[in-house]
Amino acid sequence: MTDTRRSFHTQLEEIRDDIVRLGAFVVEALPNATESLLTSDLELAESVIAADADLDARSLLLEEKCYAALALQSPVAVDLRAVVSAVRMVAEIERSGDLAVNICKAARRIYPHELDPRLRGLINNMSERAQQELRFAMDAYADDDATLAGAIDDMDDLLDRTHNEFIQAIFESHGAGRLDLQVAVQLALVARFYERIGDHAVNIGLRVRYKVTGMLPEHEAPNRGGRQSDAAAQAIAERRLGGAPPSEATGGS
Amino acid sequence: MSDAQEATVVSDAIEPQPVAVNERVAPARLAPEERSVDPDAALGVSVFECTDLSVLYGSFRAVQPTDLTIRRNEITAFIGPSGCGKTTVLRCFNRMNDLIPSARVEGEVRYHGVDLYGPDVSPTEVRRRIGMVFQKPNPFPKSVYDNVAFGPKVNGVKKRSELDEIVEQSLRGAALWDEVKDRLKASALGLSGGQQQRLCIARAIAVQPEVILMDEPCSALDPIATARVEDLMQEIKDTYTIVIVTHNMQQAARVSDRTAFFTAEVNPSSDTRTGVLVEFDRTTKIFSNPSDARTEAYVTGRFG
Repeated sequence: MTDTRRSFHTQLEEIRDDIVRLGAFVVEALPNATESLLTSDLELAESVIAADADLDARSLLLEEKCYAALALQSPVAVDLRAVVSAVRMVAEIERSGDLAVNICKAARRIYPHELDPRLRGLINNMSERAQQELRFAMDAYADDDATLAGAIDDMDDLLDRTHNEFIQAIFESHGAGRLDLQVAVQLALVARFYERIGDHAVNIGLRVRYKVTGMLPEHEAPNRGGRQSDAAAQAIAERRLGGAPPSEATGGS
Repeated sequence: MSDAQEATVVSDAIEPQPVAVNERVAPARLAPEERSVDPDAALGVSVFECTDLSVLYGSFRAVQPTDLTIRRNEITAFIGPSGCGKTTVLRCFNRMNDLIPSARVEGEVRYHGVDLYGPDVSPTEVRRRIGMVFQKPNPFPKSVYDNVAFGPKVNGVKKRSELDEIVEQSLRGAALWDEVKDRLKASALGLSGGQQQRLCIARAIAVQPEVILMDEPCSALDPIATARVEDLMQEIKDTYTIVIVTHNMQQAARVSDRTAFFTAEVNPSSDTRTGVLVEFDRTTKIFSNPSDARTEAYVTGRFG
């Protein structure tokens, strides 16, 4: 096959490589953030926080690269989807990096508190799940693997469950007098940060699927039934239909 | 059924199709079991319905049998590489291929249900209702006024006041009136290329056709003149049905409601090429998520 727009397609490959690099950056930052929290390693926390400026700068550059491609190359079809999904993904990745930074800041705030083994185990668990989701999302992106991208949503259920378990554990520890309120609040926020990273990974997966198949996640959101709360599905259905709330029958199909 | 359509249908079968607000206009593709000429008639009045339309030059088949529906008040664009048959198909719509001695049309083109190639149909009447604008502006070596008045005169309009009105209306319709109203008696050949092309459009609409066929109407024009003609197409599409052949994919994307992508298949036995309709769908679909890999390769420039 002859490529009549080789230089543009090389640009698209660069954009993809940049995204993969940004994703890898966050995938690596996350375990460091967790370690700084669990080992009270403030130096490590500082290094993760400092590195985020670089991530932000690269994200901005990449976003501008995407805008230039849109403005100058008039991409269509799969090329258009590649650029548009890149713009969306940059924001998701950059935000995930910010959440890793937030975990490090929480580590600073609760210093030098020692956490009990159960909480430590659950934090490790959340961190690993979030990291794995993010890694799978980036792998799916690098390989144009829509199936893997779609699976991240299911993986995220596990993270959500661990998140709930952790919140419960915080209440129990606090109730048993093993955790002060200040630390408890910080830990609840930390749990939320991991949970949000998982959500960003799911979003990245949806954008990967859009890039590969052209299917916008918004198109089928109301049909995802169990995946999504009924309220959210209904809200989306209402917005799409642009009218009155749908009858009860609308929810399921 | 061509391979193209079959491939499209197969991919439809394995991929769930989202039902979205902006997907209300279903693609005009045909499933094998329900091969009706007009699968989504509710969407608009069909002007042309082609069934197994094929064009041969002598024994050489230039275009594979094609099914295609053109709808009223829409702009339909034909895109594809050279030799893909898009112009040949366009010329079937007003029997221009009749003028090529060796050309033969097979299959059917129905114009509002009437077989365009039926024995009782007069090609002249066909061309009055279905006007054409060509790649190169081709005004007659006459005055601006006479160019536009030519068709109506042939059709028997004699009264000066009536002709004056037709000329003004047509020139206004082609967004040219303000530029030429003070030099209606001047030669049309003195106009700029863009003005000449809009004059040709004015001449085409002076006989009040229903359809305007455009064969690369902007390829000889600069970007500003092109933009004027494209604007004009949008303005007149409420009144006319437009079918445009264009090499400029961005133009197809900008102006059309539906796009048909044709490609040229090389015949292995001889060194000839035969045109094939690969995909016909809403323009937004063709340029954001085409169903056929060949369409995607073409519109993104990965074309061999």
